[in-house]
Amino acid sequence: MRKVIERLLNLLAFLLTSERPVTADEIRRTVAGYDQSSDEAFRRMFERDKDLLRQMGIPVEWQATDPWEVEFGYMIPADAYEMPDPGLTDEERAALWLAAQVVRLGGQPSGPEAVLKLGGSPMPGGGEPLAAELGLAADLLGFVFQAISERRAMHFAYRDKHRRLEPYGLVHQRGHWYVVGREMAANAVRSFRLDRATEVEIGDETGSFDRPRGFSAKDVLPRRPWEAGPADLEADVRFDASVAWWARRQIPVDAATREEANGDLLARIRVAHQDAFIGWIITFEADAEVLGPDELRQAVVARVRGVA
Amino acid sequence: MNTSKTAQRLTRILAMLPWVIGHPGATVDEVCDRFGYHRKDLLADLDLVFVCGLPGYGPGDLMEAYVEDEEVIVDMADYFSRPLRLSPAEALGLLASGMALVSTNQAPPALERAVEKLARVVLPDAGDVLAVDLAAEPGLLDVLRIGAHEHRVIEMVYTSLGRGETKTRSIEPWSVFSALGNWYVSGYCRTAQAERVFRVDRIQQVRVTDEGFDPPAEPPPPIVRYTPSEDDVYATILLRTRAKWVAEYYPVEILSDDDSGMTVRFAASDAAVAARLLVRLGADAELLEGDAVRHETVGLRARILARYER
Repeated sequence: MRKVIERLLNLLAFLLTSERPVTADEIRRTVAGYDQSSDEAFRRMFERDKDLLRQMGIPVEWQATDPWEVEFGYMIPADAYEMPDPGLTDEERAALWLAAQVVRLGGQPSGPEAVLKLGGSPMPGGGEPLAAELGLAADLLGFVFQAISERRAMHFAYRDKHRRLEPYGLVHQRGHWYVVGREMAANAVRSFRLDRATEVEIGDETGSFDRPRGFSAKDVLPRRPWEAGPADLEADVRFDASVAWWARRQIPVDAATREEANGDLLARIRVAHQDAFIGWIITFEADAEVLGPDELRQAVVARVRGVA
Repeated sequence: MNTSKTAQRLTRILAMLPWVIGHPGATVDEVCDRFGYHRKDLLADLDLVFVCGLPGYGPGDLMEAYVEDEEVIVDMADYFSRPLRLSPAEALGLLASGMALVSTNQAPPALERAVEKLARVVLPDAGDVLAVDLAAEPGLLDVLRIGAHEHRVIEMVYTSLGRGETKTRSIEPWSVFSALGNWYVSGYCRTAQAERVFRVDRIQQVRVTDEGFDPPAEPPPPIVRYTPSEDDVYATILLRTRAKWVAEYYPVEILSDDDSGMTVRFAASDAAVAARLLVRLGADAELLEGDAVRHETVGLRARILARYER
């Protein structure tokens, strides 16, 4: 490993100071560690090294060495290697470090390397009894995040269909990751569960679309499953005293409610998706009752009978 | 994997160099503490840096890196004086972790500031493109966390998911964790005299008592998974197209899947769970096999309909 790291440090030092694209041949002749006997051995070694640097987030770019684009070479632009200083204090770095350990992506801690790159931090002490798993692995999420931050189009397969998307944002809600953006074929803003997307690819062109002004990822997905849809109903529901606490936790805080003397909860709830709402009401079994409107009440009965 | 060990070591070197260059006089202990180094590993990395540099590779071209009087000295390495950019996956990982904790109201103000500052440099023009919500009912997580952190017994009123049975329970909480969109507390339930995992949103009330307990040396990992048991009930269910999502949410065994629908074998700790699901699915599902579940489903349908017909 020592030889590899020496070679990579030499390569980085050379590419960061050369200020022009340098050809593979020049690297082979100039940089210590690359003087391989065969072309093939050099090529393989150099490919491996470039991959490793890219894996670390260091972009090795391929550019023409002359205006006529006769020859191409490699360079690492300083602004792509460096990160602007976010101005973090030690306390803030320690807080990030702790968060990165407590929260996992795809079963892995979200990475001490990232905190080291930000300037490191003494390990915050004390075992933390809190843990959270956000599901998907950082690799896939990072890929989508890159498309979003660099405004590149992306495409993927989803429910057996090929989709092209201008990705606006990434949301984790109710245990799932969603990518939100304009689906180009439908010309509509949609959200897709990322764990159901396969063959995810992102486009080469950066800045290929504009995000709508004032876009806010957290406002796109409904907090409750019955809040997204074409319907516009106001359901009046009675929740028995025994389940009122459970209903209160799930209905919007701004829903109109009244508690009766016996502890029953009467609530008026906005419904945009009738099917999802009925599904939710049935989880209360016989401890909740839709009082109106009548058509919704009839729909609940039809569902329970198994005819709808 | 070998490559990624190499990447980890190189990343730490490239992270350490700019900090040392920017903090003349830093001691070996400070650098070790900050970058998670053992002393001998730091010395090995400095030795390695010492033999690298620019072509020519003579004394004027190589970097200088050594320890003198406990002070770490790095010189002739201006090209490594800037901090390394985060990869998209690293940036996403840190931001998502930070936002996840902030959403629980369990984070120090420093974390909120850190997330804001980091988002500004990682996403200079992007605004609110990332949202992570792990919110829990206020007043529950903090109490459970104190109990788990200080090894104090908690007492809670808990309503089970299966039968909806409400009980006051005495718990030795080991860890509080979020998975699959829900918060859980795991620990030893004194009332049931067994290890248990409880869903935090089904806790009606909770308080920390003054009684302490000895936590296990190695608490089980904070994950929820379905563990088959002898008391489980089984049902074979036909899911029509609109109900196929069930196969993604519940631990089912898929027996067949075609245009007419998907046939699954559904296992549950309690027939009530399967019955509730079946009633919920209405005409989108059909029970093919499972007497206990059928009995329970008929009962549940009748109870709900009775309420609507009175």
